[in-house]
Amino acid sequence: MNEELDSQLSAMFDDELSHAECELLARRLSRDTELKSRWGRYAMIAAAIRAEHGVRLHVQVAHRVSALVISEPALGAPVVARAAPPRWWRPLAGVAVAAGVAAVSILWLRGQPLLPGSAAQPPLTAAADAPAVSTAAPVAVALPARTPAGSDSYVVPPAAHGAPALVPPTEFANYVVAHSLYTAPVARGNLLSSFMTSESGTGTAAMLLDAPQDPPRDAPGHAH
Amino acid sequence: MRRATRTRERLKAPAFAWALAAASGAFAATEPAAPPAPAQWLERMNQALSTRNYDGTFSHWHGGTVEMLRIIHRQRDGHVAERLVSLDGSGREIIRADSSLTCYLPDKRTVLVQERPVGESLVAFPAVSSQTASNYDIREVARMRLNRRDTHVISVAPRDQYRYGYRLWVDDATAMPLKTQLCDTDGHVIEQLVFADLSMPARIPDSAFRPEVSTEGFQWLRNDAPAPAAAPAAATVWSALKLPPGFRMMLHGAQTLPGSSLPVDHLVFTDGLASVSVFIEVQATPAGVGQVTEVRAARVGSSSAFSTVVDGHKITAVGEVPPATVRLIATQVRAEAAASPASTHP
Amino acid sequence: MGADASDLSLVRRVQRGDKGAFDALVLKYQHKLVKLVMRYVRNPAEAEDIAQEAFIKAYRALPQFRGDSAFYTWLYRIAINTAKNAVVSRDRSPIDYNIDRNNEESYEMQGRMKDSETPEGLVLTDEIRSTVNAAIEALPEDLRTAIVLRELEGLSYEEIAAAMDCPVGTVRSRIFRAREAIDRRLREVFEGGLGRTEELG
Repeated sequence: MNEELDSQLSAMFDDELSHAECELLARRLSRDTELKSRWGRYAMIAAAIRAEHGVRLHVQVAHRVSALVISEPALGAPVVARAAPPRWWRPLAGVAVAAGVAAVSILWLRGQPLLPGSAAQPPLTAAADAPAVSTAAPVAVALPARTPAGSDSYVVPPAAHGAPALVPPTEFANYVVAHSLYTAPVARGNLLSSFMTSESGTGTAAMLLDAPQDPPRDAPGHAH
Repeated sequence: MRRATRTRERLKAPAFAWALAAASGAFAATEPAAPPAPAQWLERMNQALSTRNYDGTFSHWHGGTVEMLRIIHRQRDGHVAERLVSLDGSGREIIRADSSLTCYLPDKRTVLVQERPVGESLVAFPAVSSQTASNYDIREVARMRLNRRDTHVISVAPRDQYRYGYRLWVDDATAMPLKTQLCDTDGHVIEQLVFADLSMPARIPDSAFRPEVSTEGFQWLRNDAPAPAAAPAAATVWSALKLPPGFRMMLHGAQTLPGSSLPVDHLVFTDGLASVSVFIEVQATPAGVGQVTEVRAARVGSSSAFSTVVDGHKITAVGEVPPATVRLIATQVRAEAAASPASTHP
Repeated sequence: MGADASDLSLVRRVQRGDKGAFDALVLKYQHKLVKLVMRYVRNPAEAEDIAQEAFIKAYRALPQFRGDSAFYTWLYRIAINTAKNAVVSRDRSPIDYNIDRNNEESYEMQGRMKDSETPEGLVLTDEIRSTVNAAIEALPEDLRTAIVLRELEGLSYEEIAAAMDCPVGTVRSRIFRAREAIDRRLREVFEGGLGRTEELG
């Protein structure tokens, strides 16, 4: 923890920092989730001290606004591209995490066969066939929106040449979702939340746990 | 007055209450009912989660990061509607209408749609039973105020390495789990869900279950309903040779997965709390053309997945259990009949 | 140390496309804006929705902000207009519940729909406030005075320095250390439950 930096943060929060230092710190503040969390807690502390009756201290406004701003166009010529969605809740330290856990990319982007064996089907464009569902259009709860009858609604990209370097974990997504109907209610919360939040917008490539460098030549069941 | 209070306090101890009720019927009739056993709190909680209407925002902690999500759930005339939304910018949503699930993944510009075959009844999850008790040690370890609510802290400790444990803060008034911790076999917390706000309205309109995202230009992946010929009786019968202690098969069905029209056998094993799905698919491609021979393991959050190949079939096990358990189950699945789709069931 | 340098440095970044900088502005002013909106709507959840809307409007209007006024003043005006419009048109969020008030079971832990009170909700608000209060009480007097003069009285560092008869640098340091001490306890509130597995069963 950089004390000088945090001291500057505190001063900037009070608008008592020089113009030049503000410029530098603003840049860091924009990108650093730890700094942002702290900044947010400074605001919460101030609100707590002001003891305004009725105003909740643990407000989610910033969270929601951030989520909405993501889909807004960036203003002016972009200087800083945002790599990751905001996560300004401070990461929790000191808790043992099950060894070797890493986020698994669920969906593989276009260009890879989604399921082995499905490459035989001709590719179709999604844009022409997929229904455009806007938030304003009424959608019956009972049925998800359907594509026009007769058209294939899925896109199967052309087969990759040669064996793909990473067998896509796409199939795990399907399995997880299909499985979710059979979990105990309490477990479903965990399962689906994990599914929803895994690899959220990090934009990084898939990471497979235990991905073998060379596929084992032994009989199946031989774990690596 | 003080004496009465002391007596009431003593009655709260489950063992004492039980003894009291057994000893004197008349006395038991005038005294307040014994407090629910911890396993009953679990049962009530599952009931609340399945049958009540609720709308809440919760934080999901896993692997050092926290995300916020919103859940809306409604049960009306036996029909379930549910919507889970990520509030952290990915815009992901899962919307469920009875047994049809639609996953909106705007960051991937994809929608996944899964539908169960029409007519296949949605299996109600088994009640917390003696089977559960034999696999887990269920106790109420504390009464706690959590966010100004009175909660029962229920600890569900696994009796072996094949499953995870839970610690649940169950609201006294509604039986909703205000805080849920998933713990690994060493007792470390690997996942936590905490409600930041929660309301339980009597009515929730359909509009609450519409997605917020616009899906223009998205690719849609949908599973086709399996052909009638793919009914389990006509196909190979699969079962597990050996299961981890306490697991038994709960369901055996057939479906398809989005992106493919091939039938998939789906077995579900459960120990009363945790469940593991096993999916069995015929390997469609002939050997040598991108065929998957590798064994794969992965995690989706705290759930584990494992896939392998047996007799030309790809077998994938998924469940909210440790990796070793899915691996064990997946590698134990075998066909009882000859592995040919055309063969008849003996 | 120009006036409004802090906000302006963030605003300029947003105007050049840095969305992360906008988060910082929202974090700083969200409580103030909600408090402001609550002059027009009493329900906290509704006030938060309106505040959220105001922030989005501000984001979209930011290209037109030239720095003629302080950023907060500009934001404040947007919030008031948004609140007034919301009250006039009752433009609610898409989800509109019709709670059966006769049903004892269907209560809200959040108090979303009760217009007659300002319930605090399921929240950490109580816990946060008591944590902050306890932390402040535990502070050495010079730190406590500094932070209270700053947050409650809104004095500048120079004014506080005059009041406490010490250099400005000392004021800055005291306020920083006060915040650190309070923040340490606050972090425990948010991270509570994890890592404390020993205390149960």
